[in-house]
Order: sequence, then C-alpha cells, then structure tokens
Amino acid sequence: MISSNSDALTTGADVSVPQSDLSRFLKRLGIAIVVVGLAFAAAFMLTPYQPNEANFLMRLKPPSATHWFGTDNLGRDVVTRILYGAGWSLGLAFLISGLGAVVGVLVGLSAGSAPRWFDQFLMRVTDSFFAFPELIAAIAIAGILGPSTSNMVIALVMVSWMRYARLTRSLTLELSKKDFITQAYLNHLPFRLILWRHYLPNLKLGLLVLWTNMWARTILSISGLSFLGFGVQPPEAEWGAMLLDGKSYMQTAPHLMIFPGLAVLIAVLSLNLIGDQLRDHIEKNL
Amino acid sequence: MTQSFRRISLILLNRLASLLAVMFGVSFLTFLLYYFSPGDKALAIGQARYGGEGDIQPEIAAMIREEFGLDKPLFSQFLHWLGPFLQGDFGKSFVSQEEVWVIFVPNVLETLSLALTALIIGLCLAFVLATLSVWKPGSLIDRFAVAFASIGAAMPSFWLGLLLILFFSATLKWLPAYGSEGLEHLILPATTLGLWVTTSQTRLFRSFLLEAKAAPHLEALRLRGVSESELFWKHILRHAMIPAVTMIGVDLAGLLEGAVIVEVIFSRNGIGALFVHSVLSRDYPLIMFLVLFSAFSYVLINTLVEIVQDWLVPIKRVNRGAVS
Amino acid sequence: MLTVKSLCVDAQDTRLLDDINFSLGAGECLCIIGESGSGKTTLLKSLQGMMPMAEGSIHHGLSDDGVEHIYQPGQHYLGLPGVSWVMQNPTAALNPHQRVGDAILEGLYSARLSKSEQQTRLRSALQEVELSEELIMRKPPQLSLGQAQRVCLARALISRPKMIIFDEPLSALDAVVQKQIARVIDEIRKAHGLSYLFVTHDLGFARAYADQILLLRNGKMETCQRTDDFFGNPASIYGAELIDAATILGALEQPAELSEEIPRLEAGQ
Repeated sequence: MISSNSDALTTGADVSVPQSDLSRFLKRLGIAIVVVGLAFAAAFMLTPYQPNEANFLMRLKPPSATHWFGTDNLGRDVVTRILYGAGWSLGLAFLISGLGAVVGVLVGLSAGSAPRWFDQFLMRVTDSFFAFPELIAAIAIAGILGPSTSNMVIALVMVSWMRYARLTRSLTLELSKKDFITQAYLNHLPFRLILWRHYLPNLKLGLLVLWTNMWARTILSISGLSFLGFGVQPPEAEWGAMLLDGKSYMQTAPHLMIFPGLAVLIAVLSLNLIGDQLRDHIEKNL
Repeated sequence: MTQSFRRISLILLNRLASLLAVMFGVSFLTFLLYYFSPGDKALAIGQARYGGEGDIQPEIAAMIREEFGLDKPLFSQFLHWLGPFLQGDFGKSFVSQEEVWVIFVPNVLETLSLALTALIIGLCLAFVLATLSVWKPGSLIDRFAVAFASIGAAMPSFWLGLLLILFFSATLKWLPAYGSEGLEHLILPATTLGLWVTTSQTRLFRSFLLEAKAAPHLEALRLRGVSESELFWKHILRHAMIPAVTMIGVDLAGLLEGAVIVEVIFSRNGIGALFVHSVLSRDYPLIMFLVLFSAFSYVLINTLVEIVQDWLVPIKRVNRGAVS
Repeated sequence: MLTVKSLCVDAQDTRLLDDINFSLGAGECLCIIGESGSGKTTLLKSLQGMMPMAEGSIHHGLSDDGVEHIYQPGQHYLGLPGVSWVMQNPTAALNPHQRVGDAILEGLYSARLSKSEQQTRLRSALQEVELSEELIMRKPPQLSLGQAQRVCLARALISRPKMIIFDEPLSALDAVVQKQIARVIDEIRKAHGLSYLFVTHDLGFARAYADQILLLRNGKMETCQRTDDFFGNPASIYGAELIDAATILGALEQPAELSEEIPRLEAGQ
C-alpha cells in the first residue's frame, strides 16, 4: 500500500502507481513467448521437408548440411520432426494441463466452500486418486483404453487433476476467512457471483504457478508414455515416439537417440526455469 | 500425560481411518478400471481360458457370465471381486493361467534388488553432493550440485538410460545392455535409477543441511571454541539427519515409475516390465493386482512416514485449513 | 433502535458472551470497549447472525417497515436489515482484484436500483467520505490505508443504512489519518441521524464521540453507562482502572474535575 499524508480528497494525479515487478516480468515473458513463437513459425515455413516425408534413399544419414540433424530410419528429416514434436509436446501439455485445471478447480472450489462432510468426502476421493503413482496409472488407463493420443490425454488428465484440486481447496479455505468475502455475503450477493467475482480472481496467481509446473511434468509424461508405446502413435513426430524408433538404431545411427531426448530436456528445463522465476515474482508480490 | 496420550492416539486413529478410506477408494477405482475397459469381458475370459482368438459359444459365455457375475450391478460386481481378493485369492493370469501371486513374487524380488541398489547408489551420491555443496557454499561443487539437480529434474529417465547404454554398452562395450542375471547386468539399470534418486534427493538434503546450519545454538558453540569441522560433523549433520531419514521413505512412487522404465529399457525381469506386458496383453487380474500393489504400498509407506514424523514433531493442532 | 436482552453466546464448551444487555437509540453512538479477547468481535458477529445465540433476544426496530423484529436463539439470518459493517483491516475487507468503485457499489446489490441511481448514490457516498471520484477505477493495493478505509465506509453508507457497526476501524491507521476519519465518521452520523455501534479500545475516541459506553471483560458486561457517567463516575472498578491507565498514558486528557476519588483495583481482581 502507498502511504500518503494528505489523505482526504486526494486526486488521482498526485499519487503515482508503480508497476509491480510481477507485471514487468509478465510483459517480458510475453514478449519472449511471442519472439519464440515467431521463430518457430518461421522455422515451420522455412523447412523444406515434411515431418512424415519418407525418403528411402536417404535413410539413417548422420547430420549434414542438407539435414542438420540427420535422417531417421525412414529417411525423414530429423530437424523438421523435432520442430513438429515441439508442437505435439507443447500443444498436448497445454491441453492436458488446461483440462486438468478445469476439473481440479471445480472440485477444489466445491470442497473449499461446501459443508464439512462433503469436503471430507471430496478430499478422500482426491487422496485415492493421489495414491496411484502417476506413470503407472497413466499406463494402465491408456493401455486399457487402447493406445492413442486421445486416450493418453484422458489418462494424463485423470492422473493430474488432483493437484489443482488440492491447491484450489486450500486457497479457497484461506480466502473464505477474508473479510471481503464476509462483506459480500452480508450484502446478499448470491453464491455464484461471489465465486466468480471474489474467489476466482484471487486464485489466478497461485494456480498459474502450479500450471507452469504441471506443463513441464506433463511434457515428461507425454514423452514417457509415447516412448513406451502408449501415447502418440507412429508415424507422428513426437519426441518420445522418436526415441522409441531410434532405440533400435543405437549403434548405426546414435544421433536419432540424442536429439529427441535433448529436445525434451531443453523444453522441460526452460519451463522449469520460467516457472521458478514466475514463482519468485509472485511471492514477492503477495 | 494422559491428555497428550489421548491426543496422540486420536491423531493416530484419524490417520488410520483416512488410510482405510483411501484404500477403499483405491480398490474401487482399480475395479472401475477393469469395469470400464472396452470389450466383452466374457469373451476375454473365455479366450484366455480356452485359447484361440475367435468367438466362444453362447453357452460357455453364459456360464462365464454366471461365474463372474458379469450381469450384476456395478457395486455387487465390485464386492464379488473384492471378497476373494481380501482373502488372498488374487485370481489367475488370463495369459498363463498361473496364480497371480506366483507370477508376482519372483518379479517383485527382482525389482526390490534393483530398487535397493539404486537407492544406495543414489542416496550416497546425493549425500556426498549435498554435504560438499553446503560445506563450501557458492563454490564450484555447490553450483555443480544445483545445476545437476535442475538438469536431472528435467531429463527424461528413459533417455538417460538409453544414453548410458549407448555409451557404456554399445560404444565402450564395458557392460551388458539387457538381461537380469548377475551383478554386471545390475550396474547400468541401477545407476540409471540411482541417478534419478540423486537428482531428486540432493536438493532436499541440501536444504535440510542449510536449515541445520542456520540453527541459533551453533553460534554459542562457536564461541566456546568448537572447531568448524567438528561443528559440521557432530552437530549440523546430526540435526539434518532427523528429517532426512523420514524423507527416504517418501519417493516410493517415483522409484516404482523409474523401475517400470528401467526394466523395460534394459529388458530386465521385475514387476515394472511385468506390468507393461500385462497391460499390453490385457491380462486384467495381473494388471489390477499390480496397480493395487503399487498404490497400497505407496499409501502405506506414506502413512508410516507421517506417523514417524508425528512422533518426531508432535502436532499441536489439526487444522482444517492446513495445506495437505 | 436496537435492544439486546440477556444475550449469551457459546462455542463448544465455553461461554464466550454472558448476559449482555444494552439499548441503542436512533442517532446514538454506543462504544463497546474491551481488551482483546473480551468478546467484542463475538458480540458483533452474533448480532449479525454469523454466530448462533445460545440465549437471549435481539430486538431490532430499524428496518424500513418500522416494525420491530425479534431475533431469538435458533433463528438463522445473515445480517440485520438496514445495518452495515465497517471492519478493522481495510486490506482484508477489500478484494485486491476488484476496482474500488465496484466494491462500493456492492453495498447496493440487494437494493436493485437503476444504473443512473447507482451512479448518483456512488457519487454522494464518495463525497461523504471525502474521496475523489478519480479513485474509483483504482484497485485496493493502489490506495493508502486511509483511502481504503474510506472506501469501506462508502460501501457501508451507499445503502442508506440506519445503523452502522464499526469493529475498530481506526486501529490499523496512522494517528493523523485516524483523526481525519474519526471526524468524517462523526459528521456522517450527525448528518443522517445514524446509530453507531462502535467497538474500540481507544477511550479517547469514546469520550469524544460516544453517547453510551459498554464495557466488556472476559465475555461479561462490566457496565453500560452514558459517557459522562462513565468517565465521571465509573460503575466498574475495572472501568476506573482503564480510565486511569489511559489518562496516565496520555490517551485521555485529565478531566476537569473528578467527582470521586478513583479506587484502585486490588491485586487479583
């Protein structure tokens, strides 16, 4: 809060509003994302190859001037496949985290604002979901439903929504103690409006931190599941699936194993670093 | 004395009640996995029993439905399955017709040996890294340890395994890439899993040590002339060990997941590989047993760890608003 | 007016409030004085229906239809009609993501007025609390504490209540700002003939602005007197001790004359 001595009838002009660290950071982040996005788009348009364009004359070639990362067992250009793989990983991770967040927030809000018995019930259900190790449950679900991208999405959502639920619930419980919520009730605002106006906007920041975290984990899960054969299916260019293909050619074409894994590493590492920075800024703000 | 005893036993009962509720929920969810699986179950069971890929005769199908209660409502099917399960009858594998338990035991022993070796390797390494890093903060070792932990957290474990195979097995030909018998077959898989343990535990150990290092009573000891190294070894380490010991039990889930990947990559025997194979062959009794096993052991160990923590640091208040 | 008879509030095994009795007339200001833990906030919460009454009754004659409503144990309600509440901490009482103008307008939610009427009320509420209209687009973190509390006051006023409950609204503010806002609060009361129920631990404020003083201690009502009676001739030894302490600390000016010698509290009382 800004302190000011002359309090009464202050006009807007004489009190300056500093831009918080958080908003400056977010602006810079936004710019960075746009730049990276443009670079990607440029790369997509500039690459002369298609990700699934097989060329049997050029199989298993090591990195060269024409194929920067070499070619795989079907003669497909690896660079192009890595780029498209980025689209798969980031896009699917976005979708999965988004869906998980929606489900989790709904459950968390209900638990945090419901009578105690319902809250306890929801928490037991959440705990039950938490008991399953993520990868194992995902393999079971994706495997039983049948290996495919959409089934993988379902599996990963079912395995991750609980984190959002727990966080939302604890944030909601904390918020319920705040006086402005009491005031809204005393002013006879309906519950739905209180949720929309007062709870949700105050949940945003905390959930954002979790969401970036989950993005990174999801990318790891997606590549893991695809590597085991339960996720994105060939011939799509997903990094984990590429590693699965490349495994058999380890001795003849090791570059097929190195680049996809490296891509996962860099993507997850960057997301983790951004998430850490974001968390630091948000905590400073609170 | 009786007051705090009552409070402690109340908290204990609370935890046990939660444990039971969660275990029930876990069993139910696992059963739902089976219940909602696509495909005609009578057909699957029939094919498993009598072999062959084609249709089974309607009388046999009806008999199977009768035997397994496949036409009954959800909850009674659940109880129909849960009953024998609780009494130790885990069913027979669809694929090999063997008892699930018989298949399970030798595999779990394999996985246990892998996991224990990995734990030892990983924790020792984590301990060394964390200690060195706190001993000389800001030094090269410190920054290396932090970077190592960050990269390790971002690296897919299956990639690490593949790299190790590529390097040590395919290129240098020092170690075998697959197989389960013998110590040399254990090294690469255990190292892969162990490195994963290291990356996740180094940061934890490091923060415990840092916390212990910042304890106020150390200043008093310093003034009394206790040397830095004695301070470190006798006091700081000991204080950090207390929370550290409880942390060891914790990432069981991660270990199980890691075991799945490592066993698949290195073609080892173990419940991880068994699990993947059973999913691929739709061997439901085996799938359900393994899923339940991993969930139960995870929850049990976590509850035990929580009980130990309660004992070490008594809870003053059970707060509804506490972050789980 | 508001009359409270034999109000008792329990929580699990303990009695938080015991046998509270007072009566507040139209246009009067009653200050509830007590140390922390004496039950002041519990009293306010139970008046507003947020904590259940164990015994007693609340007679509320301030609603629009002029009829007296009686609230008794077992009845569930949320907020006495025609009563607004200004809380202690303006930071916690305002949604940091909501523009101040919208926050104030929430006070009008149940009145369902037209947009133009809402704007008129908003403008007059801002004028009463002496806030510039340019501030309505701001969010609470961009305001000073004093400004934020004025916003809360505007929110309480906009619905044209007959009575306002204050829970130590000044204690979070700087001394200079305290005096400014105390003056504003008093002017508003006189301008509209509002009744105030004012919780505070500041005897100086009570002396300057209150008509009645209700002294709470450990959930019990030590005394309820007209202000002049209280400061001249406190009916409670505890009250006398408080006045004494406040005078020594300079929070209270030495009264021109004392009607009696102030007795000392024995140790252990």
